[in-house]
Amino acid sequence: MFKKSFWGGSKEVEVIKKIKKHISILCSTCQTFKSALETEDEELIFMVFDLEREADIVRREIIAHIYEGAFLPFLRPNLCQFVEIVDEAIDEVEDAAQRCILGLNLEGIKEECIKIASLNLEACEMLSLSFEAFCQGEDLREKNLAIRIYEKRIDEIKIDLIKRLIKTKQIGNFWEGKILSDFLEALVNVSDVIEDASDHLQIINISVR
Amino acid sequence: MKVEEIMNKKLQTIEPDATVYDAIERLVDKRIRSLVVKPEDEVDVYGVITVRDIVFKVINKALDIKKIKVKEIASKPLVSVSKDTDIKTLINLMATSNIARVFVFEEGEIIGVVSLLDILSASIIERAKERQCL
Repeated sequence: MFKKSFWGGSKEVEVIKKIKKHISILCSTCQTFKSALETEDEELIFMVFDLEREADIVRREIIAHIYEGAFLPFLRPNLCQFVEIVDEAIDEVEDAAQRCILGLNLEGIKEECIKIASLNLEACEMLSLSFEAFCQGEDLREKNLAIRIYEKRIDEIKIDLIKRLIKTKQIGNFWEGKILSDFLEALVNVSDVIEDASDHLQIINISVR
Repeated sequence: MKVEEIMNKKLQTIEPDATVYDAIERLVDKRIRSLVVKPEDEVDVYGVITVRDIVFKVINKALDIKKIKVKEIASKPLVSVSKDTDIKTLINLMATSNIARVFVFEEGEIIGVVSLLDILSASIIERAKERQCL
């Protein structure tokens, strides 16, 4: 009964629906970016930018709905922060995508970058499952752990990648180096931010029990 | 789930005549727990040297790590499976052979390795993907 009254109001239902949409845009952004790296299709990079803008619109709507009175007041800042963190993950993908149209050279490291993009996508999908479980009042610990496993795998690839780059990659000039460095930073940050979102969701889940 | 989906492609090899000290250096630098030992000649087979082998067979016996060669303590032949093996079969193989890692072969070449931790991580992810019932 408590659960029904807590989640079941029309404003709450609308917010939950929009948060699910926001997370699904994150998944689409990661999927599009991974395909862009695989195919080197510039059109897909521009699709990432479009998705980021769409996510911004949904984020604004969610926050407006929440402060129009959805959910109990103590929960509102926490839910808003969760949405902001998800949005930050989308921004990181966009940052990485921007470097792709600035003359990024992935020669020799493309395979690892696609692997990281693929793990980012899997982490997003797990976050989506985690949010579904949150809405059902389920325990999120296993999903949270799965996201941490993805993040750890990406960290391992990152360390190997950077070691290899230091040893072998020939950087022609400052801008080439900066673009590559910014690209890698954004690419590996995605899973870090998803992990933060997952941790935050777990805290919200505990606080509403 | 198949072995191919969870195997680690990060493999490090070492020459059979390298010293245990060389192996330790490689293991520490690469933050890994085993090295594939290359065959000595055409009739020889691949082997493996693990942190466990070094600790139990060399350090525990106070042998000189700079004198003992990798081939003297390597385990041969490798326990291996094909990339299409399912995880349940793999776990049974590891349990009956009492080993912590299995190598994945394709057309006579090693293409990956699966450790107990890889299996554990994959099973956690599989569980997390399943919807829980209220």
